[in-house]
Amino acid sequence: MMRRVVTVAAMLVFAATAIPMQPVARAGAGSTQLTFTVWTFAVDTIKENINRFQTRVPNVTVNLTDYNWGQYNDTIVANFVGGSTVPDILYSSDHWLQQWAAAGWIAPLDDYFPQARELAKSFAPYAVEGMTYKGKLYGFPYYADPMAFMYNAAVLRQAGFGAPPQTWAEVLEQAKAIKAKGLVQYPIGFGFSLDEPFSIETVISMVYSEGGNLFDKDLNPAFDRAGSAMVKTIEWVREALRAGVMNPESLQWDGVQAGNAMKGGTQVFFITRASGLWELNNPQFSKQAGNFQLAFMPGATHETVGFVRFYAMSSNVPRRGKEALDAAWQFLNYFGGPGPDNNYPVVRRWALDFGLGFAQLPLFKDKDIRASFGRWVNVERLESIGQKHAKVKQGLTPWFAQWDVFARAELQKAYLGQQTAQQTVKNLASKWNELRRR
Amino acid sequence: MARANSRQRLGPLILGRATARPRGRLQWYAYLSILPALCFVALFAVYPVAFSVRLATHRYVLTDPHNHPFEGLRNVAEVLGSYYFRRAGLTTLTFTASVVASVLAFGVTVSHYLNRPGRLAGFLRVAILLPWAIPVVMAGIIWKWIFNGNYGVLNALLVSLGLIPSYVSWFGNPILAPLTLVIAHVWKWGPLAAIMCLATLQAVPRDLYESAHIDGGSGWAAFRYITLPFLRPTLLILLILETVGGFVTFDLVYVMTGGGPGDATSLLSWFAYAEIFRFLDLGKGAALAFIIAAVTLGLSLVYVRLLRLEALYS
Repeated sequence: MMRRVVTVAAMLVFAATAIPMQPVARAGAGSTQLTFTVWTFAVDTIKENINRFQTRVPNVTVNLTDYNWGQYNDTIVANFVGGSTVPDILYSSDHWLQQWAAAGWIAPLDDYFPQARELAKSFAPYAVEGMTYKGKLYGFPYYADPMAFMYNAAVLRQAGFGAPPQTWAEVLEQAKAIKAKGLVQYPIGFGFSLDEPFSIETVISMVYSEGGNLFDKDLNPAFDRAGSAMVKTIEWVREALRAGVMNPESLQWDGVQAGNAMKGGTQVFFITRASGLWELNNPQFSKQAGNFQLAFMPGATHETVGFVRFYAMSSNVPRRGKEALDAAWQFLNYFGGPGPDNNYPVVRRWALDFGLGFAQLPLFKDKDIRASFGRWVNVERLESIGQKHAKVKQGLTPWFAQWDVFARAELQKAYLGQQTAQQTVKNLASKWNELRRR
Repeated sequence: MARANSRQRLGPLILGRATARPRGRLQWYAYLSILPALCFVALFAVYPVAFSVRLATHRYVLTDPHNHPFEGLRNVAEVLGSYYFRRAGLTTLTFTASVVASVLAFGVTVSHYLNRPGRLAGFLRVAILLPWAIPVVMAGIIWKWIFNGNYGVLNALLVSLGLIPSYVSWFGNPILAPLTLVIAHVWKWGPLAAIMCLATLQAVPRDLYESAHIDGGSGWAAFRYITLPFLRPTLLILLILETVGGFVTFDLVYVMTGGGPGDATSLLSWFAYAEIFRFLDLGKGAALAFIIAAVTLGLSLVYVRLLRLEALYS
């Protein structure tokens, strides 16, 4: 009996000492811990990148957390408000930058890393604009892309069309013809879900493509004027739904679900980030691989939205002191910059392995990347869209994210015919002004 | 004599002025004993409520984190005066009325059949509880897949039976989407209602039914004059639970519809969540939470007054 008691006691003592030792042993002596939060995309690749980073920079240990893309901003806001699980480095978007920066949740990089401003000169201007708040740089690009119009060329040929639509009227015309020939039930499908941040980027791209503006130079709404490009866009979507050529599930879809319909051959026209074409034309993921082409955004000007998603540093890092700041700089430089070996290890890998667009200008000359992109996209057209037609989103302010969420629901009501396009833009303008006054 | 002995035995507990000091000590002991519980309640109930009052009466917009002027009841007034509150309120009332009626009907009907003897009765009584044992978020995910407009099993079933010509976008339709929420809610909470009703039904004396039968009463008459009066107290309890439950439903909306399409399923609780986490207006969100709490409290008080069990039984 006594022996059993001693054995159990010894096991308990061992367990009590061994369990807390585990993380320390993994972290290694003298290692600085960084927490890194991302939205759920290619998490295994992110983990590999982290492992490579830790091998190259052994004095930093990174702990990864990922959240669903659709609820990402809500979750991050809850984390910051709650204060218990604030990450050190996190993915952000031009959507949310001003909101997070105004709340003091993320820190300006150039306040702590003077070399960041110099490095930013090698980023595409629209990306720098999307990462800047009150003249301060808040991030290094994770990826940057223009929103693009893509189509299934094989179905278009079957329907007797030799070229993609040049105007939105032609999109409807071709879609109706495709449907009439029984080729595809719903030729058009967009990601207009209430949870989909790409939803507003799709709408703004359509507005830009007609030469429209959302705001004037003083940030007053310009979209609420009678006959504005926004009104025409809303009416176009309404007509596409009414005519049965846009999948009604579009109102529930995010970009991934709409992309899946493209890959499955049940959809012909789609708007998403240009790099989405990598997956559509990849035989590993798509039954229709090779059939998809990039087109200029239909409309009068073919202009579109260029956006940036980036690595931001939370205000938690400066509070932790110099060691954490040093670790954060090494991380940012490795993941969003040229890294210690001046070869953009992470950005380059995203481009080669996933076709993600980038804002790091030196990479546009990278032969490997050009060759790799050439396998799934017309590189010249992609460059042309990115450099000549992509514009940063108008209205990026601390209240843009809230207005965006409001806009998604109001636009859905208009698409469903529950309110007129004019009433919708009036509501959107009213909300914009309310948020601005707040 | 006996009284004197008992006084001696009880000592300081019942003696007057002479024992004032020991009684004070005892009072301290009593207070100390409940102190941990008080701290616990203060930490987890009083403080959050007090903090919420502060939020509701101040300007708390997270994009302007250092500016919190006192605003009194302005947040409450703005929320109450907004079109979106009226719209969410109407949606919530419709949803609550639907789920209360449906859950009660489900509970009464299913319990009526489960109360009958049969070989499968025991199994069914356990099986019916399975949805209730599943977490609400899981239930929401299950129903989200069932109602999926592209690969949902319900669409496949209805098309194969020839009941609909093509797949229906359940969540993309402003009339069907609230219906999906009601169905998921009833599936989740109906079983509890059924089991509560069943427990009541099993206490109804069999002789009453036999007497009714002998007197020539129909099945409906037995249900109307025997079953239903016995079920009334249970139904009232369920009415309270379901009204409050329907009023504060959030998780199903969060998982299944996200308040859409448009604002077709934007219930008041979702509206409060959106004010706080999407519009980052903690002041208005807290004000809205108090409005919801006041309404549910008011409804509960009305129902509790109705719940005079003895009167109902008599």
